[in-house]
Amino acid sequence: MLKMTNVSKIYRTDTVETHALRGFSLTVEEGEFVSVTGPSGSGKTTFLNIAGLLEELTSGNYEIDGRDISSLNDKERSRVRNEKIGFIFQSFNLIPELNVYDNVDVPLRYRGFDAKERERRIMGCLERVGLASRPTHFPAQLSGGQQQRVAIARALAGEPRFLLADEPTGNLDTHMADSVLDLLAEINEAGTTIIMVTHELTLADRANRNLFVRDGHIHDGPPELHFATAANA
Amino acid sequence: MDIGPIWRAMLRNKSGFVLIALQIAVTLTIIVNAFGIIQERSGRVARDSGIDEANTFAFASVLFTDYEREQRKTLIDEDLDLIRNVPGVINAVASNSFPLRQGGWSMGVALEPGNQGPESVGTAIYFVDEHGAETFDVDIIDGKNFTPGQVAWSIENDNTWPAYGIITEALGKEMWPDETGSYVGKTMFINDTDPVNIVGVVDTLQAPWESWTGVERSMLVPQRRPSEFVRYIVRAEPGMRDRLMPEIEAMLAASNKDRIIRDMTTMDEVRKLAYVGDAALIKILSFVVLLLTIITSLGIVGLASFNVSRRTRQIGIRRALGATKPAIVRYFLIENSIVSAIGLVVGSALAIGLNIVMVEAFSLEPLAWYVIPAGVIALWAVGQLAVADPARRASNISPAIATRSS
Repeated sequence: MLKMTNVSKIYRTDTVETHALRGFSLTVEEGEFVSVTGPSGSGKTTFLNIAGLLEELTSGNYEIDGRDISSLNDKERSRVRNEKIGFIFQSFNLIPELNVYDNVDVPLRYRGFDAKERERRIMGCLERVGLASRPTHFPAQLSGGQQQRVAIARALAGEPRFLLADEPTGNLDTHMADSVLDLLAEINEAGTTIIMVTHELTLADRANRNLFVRDGHIHDGPPELHFATAANA
Repeated sequence: MDIGPIWRAMLRNKSGFVLIALQIAVTLTIIVNAFGIIQERSGRVARDSGIDEANTFAFASVLFTDYEREQRKTLIDEDLDLIRNVPGVINAVASNSFPLRQGGWSMGVALEPGNQGPESVGTAIYFVDEHGAETFDVDIIDGKNFTPGQVAWSIENDNTWPAYGIITEALGKEMWPDETGSYVGKTMFINDTDPVNIVGVVDTLQAPWESWTGVERSMLVPQRRPSEFVRYIVRAEPGMRDRLMPEIEAMLAASNKDRIIRDMTTMDEVRKLAYVGDAALIKILSFVVLLLTIITSLGIVGLASFNVSRRTRQIGIRRALGATKPAIVRYFLIENSIVSAIGLVVGSALAIGLNIVMVEAFSLEPLAWYVIPAGVIALWAVGQLAVADPARRASNISPAIATRSS
């Protein structure tokens, strides 16, 4: 379970203070598929960064599986990221010098698994995303959809509790986007909790719970409702 | 260990790494051979000349008025009397030369008379009286010093060689390599047929020519030579040398107006002059070693910094996927170790090859066994140090960079 209570995030420069998240409270239960929508600059990515322990929150409380992780040090945060969270990025974020196999291997090496266990997980995940036949291909030799599938395999290889997806279909055409969303839905059905940030309402509809972020605040409910509210405001 | 994927990633981006590996190889090749030369030259410079260099000085007395032979003998005796009686003087001697002076007298000595051919052994000759051993501060390790009765003035138009000699241990070993006992009492021949009975052996007394391969071979000969040009060597008590030099110069200049005192010099200055070439070479090569090491480490810093900049996003992604800061530092250190290992293996082979060529072409000593391993360890350590700061900067890249638009 993921639980944020009254979380705020403030970016400070010498002259400006930007409140990216304000009193942000949220609970995501195990097995949920949550979409997070909102206009540009609303705080979606900041939320994702905080949720994924990529950034530290300014105040508030954040728990994963009942453990307060807002005060962890860098090493402990890295470990939580590695063991409990899988990331899927808009621009895939594969390492161009590494082939498909080695890309999926990256988080597993940080986890310290032996070679046999890593191979089992890597090939299992590549099988799951339909790329078991291309472990030696490099990212540049794959289509966008295939690259995102590799990124999904990489995110799944550590068998995380949460999958955080940041505009996972943003760089894909419709056909490839559908295929990736089908895959995410399948992964969710298998028990993995997914939180997906997107600005596309049609994609958000694929989730079974919708959240809307505006001006650093979070609102629960169908995105259409919030977009309509925002438009009428 | 992460060597496998790091190596495979490097193969995808070879050019920078190849250049640095080459630079490391060339640097190792040059620095170990330069170090070998420095070591050889430093060893030469550090050799003991055998004399009390810190407290010894020398000068020449040059007559500019015609003196009869007997007058010259008297003048030398008077001079030595005066010098030896100056408080602070341990002893003094008139001799033809002294170690490191670069000019002197050499002769061939042989085990059989009339055998002054290629088999004879070259030795430096120092003509001295019974005060020579103490003035030169040589230890007579076997036998004894000359007695006053064994010392004689040279005879005009008579080339007969004195019958006694004190030799260095190195000369004895060269003459009688299989001898395990004493050289004292043995006879060797000089000047073709003149026998020399060895009365004493000293541990070290170098020849005047520091670059001569037989520099450790010399012989004290008990003969005084009354020439117009006399070289005096004076050994002072510790700390007295600098005070005594002008004092004795003034004293001798005043005692006889028919000559000049010149070439007053300390043994420290003589040593400096003798090894000026070696010292310069050591300095130049040390500078080259330092410069190459700095250039190589700058190259490594440059490549690592470039790689950190180029891979900022990738590092952020690795952090997002669970890499700790030490894991990022380790990545760069391993990457540098791989480049260094390639460069150092190639460099070791090149260094051995260059050394073989230099040994054959310039008669240098082969490198000591530990020089290449020491160079390998030193350059590897330099590489790791050079990459440490870029690696530390890389580890501070925020994982949040992974979610920013590229």
